[in-house]
Amino acid sequence: MLLKELSNLCGVSGFEQEIRNFIKEKIKDKVDDIKEDKLGNLIAFKEGKNNKKLMLTAHMDEVGFIVSNIEEDGKISIIPLGSIDPRVVLGKKVVIGEKKVPGIIGSKPVHLMTGYEGISSFENIKVDIGVSKKQEAENKVKIGDFVSFAPNAMLHKDWISGKALDDRGGCSILIDLIEANIEPFYNTYFTFVIQEETGLRGSGVAANQIDPDYAIVIETTTSGDNPEFPEARRSSELGKGPVITPAHRGYVNDEKLFNFAIKVAQENNIPYQIKRRTAGGTDAARIAITTGTPSLVISIPSRYIHSPMCVANLQDYQNTFKLLSIIITKEVN
Amino acid sequence: MKELIKKLTTTPSPSGREEKIKQTILEELQGYIDGYKIDKLGNLIVWKKGKKEGKILLDAHMDEIGVLATYIDDKGFIRIEPIGGVSPYNLLGSSILFPEIEGFVGVEGETSEEMAKNIKNLDFDKIFVDIGANSKEEAESLVPPGTFGVYSSSFRDLGNRVVSKAMDDRVGCAIIIEVFRRSTPIYDLYGSFSVQEEVGLVGASVVAFDIQPDVAIAVDVTAHSDTPKGLKRISLELGKGPAIKIKDSASISDRRIVEKLRCLAEKNQIPYQIEILLRGGTNAAVLQRTRAGIIAGTLSIPTRYVHSPHEMIDIRDVENAVRLFKIFVESEDSIKL
Amino acid sequence: MDIKTILKNLSNLDGPSGYEYKVIEYIKTEAEKIPNTTNYVDNQGNLIVKREGKGKKIALFAHTDEIGFVITKKELGNYFRFHTFGGVDPKIVISQRLRIHTKKGIAYGVVGMLEPHLQTEEMRQRVLTFDDLFMDVVENSEYVSIGDLATFSSEAFELNEKYVTGKALDNRASCTTLLYTLYLLNQYVVENEVYFVFSVREEDGTSGASTSAYHINPDLAIVLDVTHGDIYRPGYPKIETGKGPVLDIGTMVDYKYFEKIKNIAEKISVNYQIEPNGEHSHTDTDRIQITREGIPTLLISIPLRYMHTPYEVVNIKDIEETARLLSYFIATGGE
Repeated sequence: MLLKELSNLCGVSGFEQEIRNFIKEKIKDKVDDIKEDKLGNLIAFKEGKNNKKLMLTAHMDEVGFIVSNIEEDGKISIIPLGSIDPRVVLGKKVVIGEKKVPGIIGSKPVHLMTGYEGISSFENIKVDIGVSKKQEAENKVKIGDFVSFAPNAMLHKDWISGKALDDRGGCSILIDLIEANIEPFYNTYFTFVIQEETGLRGSGVAANQIDPDYAIVIETTTSGDNPEFPEARRSSELGKGPVITPAHRGYVNDEKLFNFAIKVAQENNIPYQIKRRTAGGTDAARIAITTGTPSLVISIPSRYIHSPMCVANLQDYQNTFKLLSIIITKEVN
Repeated sequence: MKELIKKLTTTPSPSGREEKIKQTILEELQGYIDGYKIDKLGNLIVWKKGKKEGKILLDAHMDEIGVLATYIDDKGFIRIEPIGGVSPYNLLGSSILFPEIEGFVGVEGETSEEMAKNIKNLDFDKIFVDIGANSKEEAESLVPPGTFGVYSSSFRDLGNRVVSKAMDDRVGCAIIIEVFRRSTPIYDLYGSFSVQEEVGLVGASVVAFDIQPDVAIAVDVTAHSDTPKGLKRISLELGKGPAIKIKDSASISDRRIVEKLRCLAEKNQIPYQIEILLRGGTNAAVLQRTRAGIIAGTLSIPTRYVHSPHEMIDIRDVENAVRLFKIFVESEDSIKL
Repeated sequence: MDIKTILKNLSNLDGPSGYEYKVIEYIKTEAEKIPNTTNYVDNQGNLIVKREGKGKKIALFAHTDEIGFVITKKELGNYFRFHTFGGVDPKIVISQRLRIHTKKGIAYGVVGMLEPHLQTEEMRQRVLTFDDLFMDVVENSEYVSIGDLATFSSEAFELNEKYVTGKALDNRASCTTLLYTLYLLNQYVVENEVYFVFSVREEDGTSGASTSAYHINPDLAIVLDVTHGDIYRPGYPKIETGKGPVLDIGTMVDYKYFEKIKNIAEKISVNYQIEPNGEHSHTDTDRIQITREGIPTLLISIPLRYMHTPYEVVNIKDIEETARLLSYFIATGGE
């Protein structure tokens, strides 16, 4: 499991080089073919016994920001890439651009407030890189540089906390599946895609190069299992195993694949859960409308995704890996 | 025609689970097509060869809106999420048909004030489905999480007006079936019965990929303005004829299709209306941008109470749509735009 | 090439989304005056002008459609209800005379405002929507039917030498720029195969540029559109008319090509500006980039004031400089 290492790399949507290079190094000698396409998707191939094609995909990108302006006082204005609640960025460390210039997103001291204050948009959020003039800032960063939450992953006994578990969890599982040297049933494409968070932009381009018969998207998904959120509204729960999605925004998962995944879980005594909310979309929708491929989403449940501090359970990770490691050896029926 | 519509609208098949309606449509087309295929996503494509080279595609979506059972609580009450544009208000006082059982919708409210407030601002978090189960286990055995349901509703014949759930878009399917039954097409005629339109025009995004028709026309429902204080900016009335769509919020019909249909309707004295839909879209949007582009448009049936359990159409509009399409597919200059 | 006249002519032509014929025809006529080109109109109505060559395929895109209106209902008398093509602020239609294209010729519809003397305080404060508006067609109202298209009727003119104002400069300014670029290319030896796509339905409906990109499948796509100039946007750099082409940067732009075109601009002294984009650029770039197996894209914009109003404003110098940059860049093969 390389989840901690992957979490600590910076790969905001559109700037996935670091992730791609890391993954390529790890897997290139363990697959039959590997290539990088024009937009930066990484597609690795392992031959199976059956000529049909299975596309297994995870996205390399994490939510983050792009530098939109350098203000006169040297502060950096940012715009989000991906869906981010502005409240999660206050009081956080970030890094900017390939040189990883460190900065902080400060917040108004409580002493200077008359009551608690809210914050609703990114217009008032600035990154402080420790300079006081525009020219000084321009020597270090430029408009169009990515801004990533700073690496912060921590492994606790059965848990992991840190940024970007969505979807380094999926990437880590794909790497583990390759390193386990399992013989896949179908010709299998392990696809690490770009720009999922900014509109499911990489997976269709990758699917067009593969034209898969089946697709399974490995995501890290929402849960909501905390005391403030009513049980009836939760999406999934940590500790209850991989999450299998019946439907989400833009797509109803393929019935045959859905039932097949559940059957494999049941037959092999792997705990699993059915996702309870249909909010949010994944690359399954993009793949379905691009190549007409029946698709399914299987996810690791996680808390607080799209923030710099997500939490996931390592048993869920292992069970998700176990489920997929068996699925890829079987014929869909 | 009414019998056909009744058969199609009463078949339960929500987005993503279209097996039943697909079989029903195939049965109804038996003997009227030269061949069919079902693609990877489940779209049904049928065809009838013509005498000249050229292809016309008529598309309707097979799926209806519905709900997904997502969670059973300790007492056996079921939580649901919408599949497609189901408004929670349409479920109040009505019931849901799951494959094994019917369920009734209730609203949360720990006080009468809270109940009133919830009804004023209703969403799926505040409702639940009661199938009369005595325990979680009993409910799970009948409606396990991942089960799909549809509106529970019946077909009503009111004369010129007929009412049912799922007129959107079984009426489109019925029209295409009738066109296949009644026409001798000049060009190759294709019919696509697409999946998952209601959740995102999914099936139609790929359905025309291999066909590459010269012209594609989607057949779907549209809005109305002829009820008390109905939409004031448009003019669409039941019984005044099928509507030739200029635009909706997803696509602009190719003007050549608009003019061709209008011309044929006038020449053959078929009543028609001109449609601008302020909010909503059809499969024409994704047909139009298939590959290097397809000339596409939509012919619509004005419908009242769209996305409710009791959608109402005028059977004469349906008849006239079939007549117009028959003339279109039998006319030599249909694809010469 | 008389850029100002072409721009004004393009501005005065009516071509709302889906109905761009007259604009396409005019551009075709102008393109045919330029040697070393062939052209055709595809099944969606896009005009594609091609320069033969070999090796890397470069395609440039500019949409030809403008925002517009469509008649949706006839009220009693000469009044008509209408809807929009593309994003229009209802306020901007007030006290305008709209040009309606009917089957029997042009009719004019006035969108009037109730005189202030008769308005209540509540009416004065109201934020208007299109449900509140209607057209008053005093002459030839019998020609007008549901489905007829309408546009603004402002006539383009020069504001102070370098500035031109009129409707539809979004995106006729880019169309003019592409034509001028095509013209300038003949002063270089150009090896590559180059396509100039004057596309349909960007403002509304399904984009013609993306299906055209599918067909051409270029190695590099450059989209030309307009962007907001001379207006304060918090968190964004100041973009000014007269300061040259805007090179857009963001996740929908290929960073390697961005650096290349930036370097060329510096080499040939074209003053340029840089504009960041978040998840979407709201132009055809987003769709073109993810067509087929992916297409490296660039977005170049002309700064423009008062976007989507009857009197948009551009600086002619920006058109000239953008064409100068693009033609040189293409001549180097996009290197």
